[in-house]
Amino acid sequence: MRGILTIAGRDLKNLLSSSLFYVIAGMCTVLWSYSYMRNLFAFAERSRLMSGQMNGLETGVNIQNGVFMGHISQINLLFVFVVPALTMRLLSEEKRQRTYDLLLTSPVSATQIVLGKFLAGTGAVAALIGISLLYPLSTRFVAEYQMAPLFSAYLGVFLVSAAYVAVGLFASSLSESMMLSVIMGLVFNISLWFLSQGVDAPAGTLQSQMMEHINFGQHFLNFIMGSIKLSSLVFLGSLIALFIFLTQRVVEMSRWR
Amino acid sequence: MIEVRKLSKNYGDRPAIKDLNFSIGKGEVIGFLGPNGAGKSTTMKILTGYMAPSSGEVKVAGFDVFENPLEVKRRIGYLPETPPVYNEMYVQDYLSFVANLKGVERGKVAAMVATALDKTGLHDVKKRVIGNLSKGFKQRVGLAQALVSDPEILILDEPTVGLDPKQVAEMRQLIRQLKGQHTIVLSTHILPEVQASCEKVIIINRGQIVAEDTLDGLARRMSGGGRGAGHITLRVRRKSDEVAAQLKSIPGVTSSVNAGNFIEVQTLGDEATVEEIASRVVAQGAGLIELRAEAAALEDIFIKLTSANDGLSER
Repeated sequence: MRGILTIAGRDLKNLLSSSLFYVIAGMCTVLWSYSYMRNLFAFAERSRLMSGQMNGLETGVNIQNGVFMGHISQINLLFVFVVPALTMRLLSEEKRQRTYDLLLTSPVSATQIVLGKFLAGTGAVAALIGISLLYPLSTRFVAEYQMAPLFSAYLGVFLVSAAYVAVGLFASSLSESMMLSVIMGLVFNISLWFLSQGVDAPAGTLQSQMMEHINFGQHFLNFIMGSIKLSSLVFLGSLIALFIFLTQRVVEMSRWR
Repeated sequence: MIEVRKLSKNYGDRPAIKDLNFSIGKGEVIGFLGPNGAGKSTTMKILTGYMAPSSGEVKVAGFDVFENPLEVKRRIGYLPETPPVYNEMYVQDYLSFVANLKGVERGKVAAMVATALDKTGLHDVKKRVIGNLSKGFKQRVGLAQALVSDPEILILDEPTVGLDPKQVAEMRQLIRQLKGQHTIVLSTHILPEVQASCEKVIIINRGQIVAEDTLDGLARRMSGGGRGAGHITLRVRRKSDEVAAQLKSIPGVTSSVNAGNFIEVQTLGDEATVEEIASRVVAQGAGLIELRAEAAALEDIFIKLTSANDGLSER
């Protein structure tokens, strides 16, 4: 456990103090600010119009659908690109700087190394998610809304980002070149979204049910809509575990070459 | 401390080391010597548990490297060819990171880091970013990293490569100071380094051990065969022709030639002969400036062993 935390602590500090993180956080903030404001103003305009038409009826427009959903899909869209850029350094840089030798000759197992790296990557991404959470939270000052659906949506964002981290970590373990790690991570991330695409199974058959279970977008959408399903948790959990396992194998393999 | 039995490693079809057998006792300082590409680094990497051997077994402090890699790694400090330092970290932070990674007791980390800084003379730079340090300092940080957990065994892979002469001297000084505190395995292709620091030498060539002996033992073995007879260079201020002529009469001297600036004398390698030569020259009043006796130098031994295919056949 101590080995994991030592590695995680160093890597998280390294990630959070790197200029790369600040550039990424800065650019994300600019984009989010622009689109969130637009969504919010559009929503305010619509809800003013609606309230005029409905004459005080309770069913107004929903801020969760109207504003947060757009915000969250934008976070996701950015993360597909940004997370591989953050995770590229985790193992590729160790190999390039030859500090990989230090890790592999220290009394820590490959599993501990990979888990430490994963925690560090997740921590850095959680910091970005924290920044994005400021937008909905600051809206609390001007509008009342329910926290539970927002929480569910952010749990979804967190789990999906953790999956991106696991994928990016795996990509990073494959190559010494950071450029290659980013590109591979990006391709893997995009492929996740196409996992169940292009299969024309008739509805109701076993195939279509299976495809539904590995539909990455559908699971994410469930979270955004405010429903935390066990199947989604299991799916994302196993996806993360799979890529951590693969990375562990790659790290372990370096001993055998 | 280290037992190596029938160790082999292949990279694909190409064998890097074949059937290595040697053992290293506690507290010994071993020079692991060989030309580039002889399999030194591969052996080091297997000893540290970085790499698994293709066959054979390695025991470090009683633990099998293959079965119990974590126990072995806990007892070894390793400085690879390129010091494994994070360029963006501060020296002190880096060392405490390594100490934590090596499983040094939490309460002792700060003290161990301070000791490592002391031993390597890095106190002045402990608050600096490693990336901004010179190559020599980075190498020292690498050594401090290997020392910080106070391991029983230190494995240093070419610790002085790429340093300037002053830094090389400092590095050797450091290694000499570590003698007695750790069992040290020093790999190098630089011979004076072995002469400066090691008691025992293992010479490896093309993946096989060609000699394993103490420094003196090696020299004796090589000159005992009559091949490495003593060569003496003399410089005198006057009468060089007469001196050269007279030295020929000393028993044990095989030839004596006045080569202009020097007088070159070949002997059978006996110390008494050297003494006799010195006293004769002085007695003659020739003004002795320099007398250099070169026994079969490690350099010659090394070249002989690594260039001849048969090497030392008695091994």
